[in-house]
Formats: sequence, structure tokens, C-alpha cells
Amino acid sequence: MRKKILTVDDSKTVRIIVRKAFKTYDCEITEAGNGVEGLAVAAREMPDLILLDVTMPVMDGVEMLTKIKAEPQLKNIPIMMLTAEGGRENVLKIAKIGVRDYIVKPFKEEVLVEKAGRIIELKPLSDGPSKVRSILDPANILILEDKPVIVQQIQDGLKHTPWVFQGTSTQTEAFGYCVRTPPDLVIVSLSLPDDAAFVLFRNLRTNVKTKYLPVFGLVVKTETAPMQRAQEVGFTAIITKPIDMNEMETKIAKAMNLDTSRRYFSIEDDCLIMRLPENCAPAVLVEATNYLKPKLAEAVDAGNNKAVIDIHQVKALHMGVIKLLMQAMQTCRDLGIRFALVANAQIVTECKGFEDTRGWTFFDTLAEAKQHFSKASPAAAPQLANV
Amino acid sequence: MPAIQDISESIIRDNITRAIADVYKTMLGRQVILSQASEQGFAEGWPPVHVPGEKPLPQVVGTVGFIGDVNGLIYLYLDTELAQMCTCHMLGLTEAEVIALGDEVVNDAIGEITNMTTGGFKNRLCDAGFPCTLTIPSILRGNNFSIEPISSAQRYIYCFDCCGHRIVADILMKSGD
Repeated sequence: MRKKILTVDDSKTVRIIVRKAFKTYDCEITEAGNGVEGLAVAAREMPDLILLDVTMPVMDGVEMLTKIKAEPQLKNIPIMMLTAEGGRENVLKIAKIGVRDYIVKPFKEEVLVEKAGRIIELKPLSDGPSKVRSILDPANILILEDKPVIVQQIQDGLKHTPWVFQGTSTQTEAFGYCVRTPPDLVIVSLSLPDDAAFVLFRNLRTNVKTKYLPVFGLVVKTETAPMQRAQEVGFTAIITKPIDMNEMETKIAKAMNLDTSRRYFSIEDDCLIMRLPENCAPAVLVEATNYLKPKLAEAVDAGNNKAVIDIHQVKALHMGVIKLLMQAMQTCRDLGIRFALVANAQIVTECKGFEDTRGWTFFDTLAEAKQHFSKASPAAAPQLANV
Repeated sequence: MPAIQDISESIIRDNITRAIADVYKTMLGRQVILSQASEQGFAEGWPPVHVPGEKPLPQVVGTVGFIGDVNGLIYLYLDTELAQMCTCHMLGLTEAEVIALGDEVVNDAIGEITNMTTGGFKNRLCDAGFPCTLTIPSILRGNNFSIEPISSAQRYIYCFDCCGHRIVADILMKSGD
């Protein structure tokens, strides 16, 4: 649920700064200009946190604080003082009435947010539900690893992606980077000295800006103790060395909640293309299957009633691929989509060897398949692929 | 209880310099440098709010007091250009937006800067054994005006340079009754 923060300050400037500080977080800011207004707004809104100034006209912050603590319905609302009124004795006197934290002005907005984030759950605002990030969108990934060769391996292995990998070698440097410019994901070696991976993880989880950042642990397959520990403390995923780049790419996409459908589905010349990659590992097949019906339905909805199922990159035919192809063809039939298959010579030969696939007809290239759509009459089109 | 005479000019100077530097660095990301100081500065032309050789600009003056074992007032003089610049930076607004919002928003921002500065100054006095609390800020605007303190008050004037502008802190202090 959206958190509510009440800022009580006679200075409009401070109230604007407070709004500005929290604008990238999912919270609602309400305002009051003095203690009397503050009490009224607190009773009406029941905020999750009150930021309270001391020196104000009509009713000052100390009086408001005292009244809140005497009011059974309000007394449990956490209060953080935000005031120029400091001095050890003043602070102690006010703290004794019951405040959760005390910030003496001047203050940095980041400090205010960080301290508020220790009292209430602050979630950063997403870009909005309408904008789903895709596998083709750029992303920044930070790698904390003291072996530059590993960083280089990851950069080389995923250079076909639009992701930018930044390497760092110390925990302090990595944490500073994350707080300054939070990346989309952090990969950290679990073998770093001084427990650095776990120190970084703990720091990231206690900072409001980084607490929801996906964090991957990187470890040699045989090092089970740190692997287990990372899983227990809540690392988002574990990547084992030697690194399987396909696996890593899939895990990164999943952790960043990316729409990966464009790996398999695209629209070209009013025609939906379903393309399977060279290596159809189980994770790939699951991913492609999940997108199958929605993507075909989306194509029909957009007026595209032709589909090419292109498996020319696939190296070997196995039951997983066959099942996916059969499901794709059946969905096309159900939705009235004309479809054609494209495959390489080896797959065509392998298809002859199975009862279920023996009758499938393939085109050699995507262009040929598309050409046939334009030649074939709508009535004849479903026979393009002889299944 | 320590007496006000125990607060030397060097303590006053150190407190105000730190307080102003802290506010400007934290809230505005700017550096301020102490350029001139004067005790009992009643001479003509004081406080020297205008930068010599520059066209005199109208002033926005924030005032916040402190009351307790030591009483006092700090007047913070800023020219209108600097006041506007500070407001833009603090609120994350453009110059055009601040102009559209009017003088009130600038007054409020300068009031808050003065409040924070006086807070920083007097909090150090509190920790040195002079408990006191802040008053609500007020603002003066205009040209060619001077403030004359009552005879029992001690007066200290400090000039600071900030981005080619001048900030003057005029401090009046006397013992609590």
C-alpha cells in the first residue's frame, strides 16, 4: 500500500524540498504549516510517518509532538524531527518525548530519504505499468569482481545484448556507484576477501535506493558453502563458473523482468515471424511457449493473419522442439492464421524420421515462405505447410 | 553559568563561518569564503552589502533570532540576484518558474536559509553552555536601509563571497535577562 508522509513545517520551501526528495518513491506527501494544522491532517490522513519542524507559529513542533503522544489513535505514528533547532540538550529533551529520528537542518535530500526508508517501506516508483522493458532496451549492470578476466568474459559473452557492464573491484567502490547511479542489476563474486560480497549485499538491502536491486552471486560450482549462504540471505540468483552465457542472459532478463518475446517473435511485412534459436534448451522452450498464444492472438488482433515458423537456426530436433512446433501450428489453425515452416536441410531430414513430423513441408528461406503467402489464395493458404 | 563575555569574537566568527558554509554546501552545493569582518561596525557604509565596483542591487534580508541564556539576531543580506539563484537551486525550479511564482517564494527560501544558518550558529552556542531557542524568520526587502542596534547589544559583521556575490551576516547579541 502507498505510504503517506506528512510534512509539518511553516516554511513552504522545506515542504517543497520534502516533496522533491520523495518524488521518485511510491508515497503520498501531505503538508501542514503549523502544529494545529499538523494535528488535524494527522488525524484525518493517519500518515505512516510525520516529518516535524520545531519552530512554527500557532503551535510549535514540541507541543504537537506532545499532543500526538497523548492521543491513543495517533501515538504510534513514527515521528522524525526535521528542524534547525539542534544543540545536545534540545535534541535530548525532544527525543525523550518520543521521536524515531532527528535531522538537524541543513539536510541533504538523500539523507532524509534514507532515514525515512529505515522507518517506513519506501518503494521506488517504476516507469509505469504501460512501459514494459524489453530485451532490446539498454540496461546497466555492475560487476564486483577482482579478476578482470571474468569481467571481460561476461562483457564478451553478452556483447550481443544492449546491456552495458561496468566492472569494479572493491565493495566500497561498488556501493558508492550503486547509491550514486543505481544500476539495473549487480553481479558480485562470492569469493572476494573480507566477506565483501555479503557486506555489499547487506548495504544494498539497507539503502532505500538499492534495496530492491537484483543481486547475483558469482561462484565456482564446487564452492557450495558461499553459494548456500548467498541463497539463504536472499541473493536474486547464483551464476556458477565456468559461466554459461545463455543461462546468465536468461537469468538477467528474468531478474530485470524484461519482455523477452522479441527474441522469438517479430512482425515483418505484415507477417508474424516465430524464430527459434540455435540452442533450444528447456528454458528457451518454456519462454517461447509462454509467449506463443499471446503473441499469435496479438498478431490477429493487429490484422496480421500470416505466420512463418522459422527454425532454420535450430541445430538438432528433439521432442521439446517438436512439441512446441505442433502447439504453434495448432494455435495458428485455431486462430485462422496461415502459416509456413522454414528449416535447414538437416532438420528437414530429421523430420522425415519421425511419425509426427514426416508430413511437414518446409521452405528453405524466409523470403520463399513469404512469397508463397502472396501467391497462394486465402483458401489454399492453410495447405502451405503440409501437416 | 558562563557569561556572554566568555564568547569571544573568534568563537562568533568561527560559528557563523561554519554555519553559512554548511548551509550553502549542503543545500546549494556552493562554497562561501569569509572575506571581511568587523566588530562594532557602525561606520558609514557598513554593513558593506554591495560588491565594490558592481551596480548596487536591491537586498533581501532574512532575520532569525535566538532567545535564552544569550539573546540575539542574525540578519543575512543577499542581493536579489543571489536570492533568486538560491531559491532556484533549493527548490529545483528554473529562473522563469521562480519569477512566475513571485517574491513570496524567494522570501520563504531566504527565510529558511537564514533559519538554518542561525540554527547552526546558535546550536554551537547551546553546546558551549548558552541554551537558547530559535524564533520564526522574517524578511526585509529594499535599498539603502541601515539597522541600528540598541546600545547594550554587541554587533559583529562578516562578509562572505559566493559565486561573485556578497552575503553579509550582521549579528547582534546580548545577555539573556
